[in-house]
Amino acid sequence: MIVALAYAGLAVAAAMSLYRLLVGPTLADRIIALDLALVCLMSAIALDAADRGDTTWLNLLVVIAIVGFTATVATSRFVERDADRRGVR
Amino acid sequence: MSTVAALVALAGVAIVVLAAVGLLRFGTPYARIHAAGKASPVAFIIVAIAASAELGWSGAAPLALAAIALLLTLPLAVHLLFRAVHASAPEFDPSIDEIPPPAE
Repeated sequence: MIVALAYAGLAVAAAMSLYRLLVGPTLADRIIALDLALVCLMSAIALDAADRGDTTWLNLLVVIAIVGFTATVATSRFVERDADRRGVR
Repeated sequence: MSTVAALVALAGVAIVVLAAVGLLRFGTPYARIHAAGKASPVAFIIVAIAASAELGWSGAAPLALAAIALLLTLPLAVHLLFRAVHASAPEFDPSIDEIPPPAE
């Protein structure tokens, strides 16, 4: 019962961040929305492992964290360099 | 899953939901990144604590590794995102801007 509530909360949070990913006016909004959706996915994997008592998929968590970080850093560097080249500031 | 662990996990999920509400409702990119980027590692750590209490050492090791990776990387990513917003969107500048302009 409580676990189902936690799953529902994660789903709601992921849906809200996916909305921001689709709508978000600036590119940085989309990047952080994708990051929050990944954190929702990681929490869901941890919750599922605890719920079923199965540690098989827990190794995915480190991979997701590192890949998400790499994507965020690469994209924000790209945004910054693009702004420099266009002479925004 | 034991009731106490489920309640702790629910507390972590509540923090994720609050971060998502902030990401959805706040007005400027700075405020949105602030809401989403700073609450999410805390939320995952709380969920990971609940899951480790349930799973024992064999589950706690990868969970701790993932929590440490998230705790080390996410503030760095948020910092770079703030720099990207500052460089690319001058219309969202706050009233006090202490970052010097780029050297020519």
